[in-house]
Amino acid sequence: MTITVDGITKSFNNFQALKGVDLTAARGEFIALLGPSGSGKTTLLRILAGLEFADSGRLLFDGHDVAAQGAGERNVGFVFQHYALFRHMTVAENVSFGLRVKPRAQRPAKAEIGKQVAELLRLVQLERLGDRYPSQLSGGQRQRVALARALAIQPGVLLLDEPFGALDAKVRKELRRWLRRLHDDMQLTSIFVTHDQEEALELADRIAVMRDGRIEQIGTPSEIYHQPATAYVYEFLGNANRLRCRIDRGRALVAGLDLPAPEHAELRDASGVAFVRPHDLTIKDPRQSGLEARVRQVFVAGPAIRVELALLATGDTLEAEVPHGTDLGELIVPNKLVSLVPTKIRAFPDA
Amino acid sequence: MVAQTRRELTVAAPPAAMSAARVRNATTETAPVRWLLIALGLSFIGLVLVLPLISVFMEALRSGIGAFFAAVSEADTLAAVRLTLLVAVISVPLNVAFGLAAAWAIAKFDFRGKSLLITLIDLPFSVSPVISGLVYVLLYGANGWFGPWLKEWDIKIIFNVTGLVLATIFVTFPFVARELIPLMQEQGRDEEEAAISLGANGWRTFLYVTLPNVAWGLLYGVLLCNARAMGEFGAVSVVSGHIRGLTNTMPLHVEILYNEYDFAGAFAVASLLALLAIVTLVAKSLLEWRYGDRLAAGRKH
Repeated sequence: MTITVDGITKSFNNFQALKGVDLTAARGEFIALLGPSGSGKTTLLRILAGLEFADSGRLLFDGHDVAAQGAGERNVGFVFQHYALFRHMTVAENVSFGLRVKPRAQRPAKAEIGKQVAELLRLVQLERLGDRYPSQLSGGQRQRVALARALAIQPGVLLLDEPFGALDAKVRKELRRWLRRLHDDMQLTSIFVTHDQEEALELADRIAVMRDGRIEQIGTPSEIYHQPATAYVYEFLGNANRLRCRIDRGRALVAGLDLPAPEHAELRDASGVAFVRPHDLTIKDPRQSGLEARVRQVFVAGPAIRVELALLATGDTLEAEVPHGTDLGELIVPNKLVSLVPTKIRAFPDA
Repeated sequence: MVAQTRRELTVAAPPAAMSAARVRNATTETAPVRWLLIALGLSFIGLVLVLPLISVFMEALRSGIGAFFAAVSEADTLAAVRLTLLVAVISVPLNVAFGLAAAWAIAKFDFRGKSLLITLIDLPFSVSPVISGLVYVLLYGANGWFGPWLKEWDIKIIFNVTGLVLATIFVTFPFVARELIPLMQEQGRDEEEAAISLGANGWRTFLYVTLPNVAWGLLYGVLLCNARAMGEFGAVSVVSGHIRGLTNTMPLHVEILYNEYDFAGAFAVASLLALLAIVTLVAKSLLEWRYGDRLAAGRKH
């Protein structure tokens, strides 16, 4: 199903949750709504599901306006953040609910329902747990029940609200891959809400980064990560060191260091910020030119060595990442003076 | 070297008394304090709850089991029992319906005047039952606001079973709603939203999702509501008129007998009432004991 969101606004009392959102999802696409809490992503998802109604704007499913349709008529599978499983029903009863409440004319026969439920439980790898109650399941299992229940009505679109938010890191990673495979196998159109950039980058075909009720940027994970449109998007996707700078004719001047910023070739002496990812910050001998900094702390555990440094000029804290095995042994020691050279920066003029 | 080792040993094994003191739970008091508090609590419960209950049954059986059955099987007493049961049978289901509807509206929807409605539901708790009775007399009595109109249509409310039922409904109104509102609020709207997005309409959502989730809370509410409906005295006393065999409920009958110095009869009927209350509580405890795990599973997620 294709989904078109056209200029949707929504207010709660005095709070404007959505300030005009446009979004298109093609059939089979997996889209992430990424943003901090309060950015309007969950409100948008609930409007898509028909659990909230927009104040203005249009909402089209396959070209048909569904703005006036109730949640039950939209044929949407919704997976809630806290699962919202029916606590007094078994897993099998939960999964079959959507089939059992269909109008008599469309309701499958009992045997047919049983067959479909068994199939769905096999799909979510819970075939032995049909008789359990939700309170007897682990978080990851509950999440899969919620998914099976949503898929039972063969929805045109699957909406997931922070689907992995309440799970621990390891389960989250497994479920994530599994969900992506499921989406591809069943040729679903899915939209999910998350505040976890890593999750969005790994799962989604396209990411819509939301801020204060608007979509700040929408694009593929690669576009969002490598060509962030605004400072906000850059900062939201991964760790970033923020440095004040002057931008002038395609160059960025950071504390006396002259760095290339080719995307701002036409800008003349504007103030702005330059961002450097920790892994783009090289630590060098203090005699070499660069940003003078003092090592504060060194964290050796993890996939790379993380070094926390204080910039001498401003006192700002920076973070650098050094791969294990790099020959910097005598440099990355607390209180040592070093020289920092950004190999790649991204500059944004002040708004 | 040897001295050093010995000192370490003494440090490693502190005196027994000290280790016992350390083991004690951080939230536990010393033994004398515990026993003092327990004794205080038990004697209070004994004086205020247990002794009165025992004395009711002792008084009832003082003149022998024969006198007890004679008092209980008297025609007016039987009529009072029948009337009490009738009033309960009418008012409890009505309050279940009202209470469910009110709790559903309050817990699952947002609307203006919600806090006003909650206050209104609590009103019968805060108003003296006598006043509730008087209000009905004022409204529906012969000289009340609707009195002439009711007389014209030959509808009798005050000094009639209708009045008894109305007064009882008023007094017992909060029991079901009050039991359900916090439970429903705690459960939130997620499950209802899930049901609706799966295609269930409002009625099915209520029947299949909301109602089963509060079934146990509802049962508590019904039991409490029933106990109060059978035991209500003040409001019922005002609207009843104390017509023996017609508008006399069990609590009123107890008072009449007592005022007539028929202590054996008064306590016999009182013991029947107490017995009804005990049966209610035992039923509740039995259900809790039998289905406690399901109750717990329903309350948490």
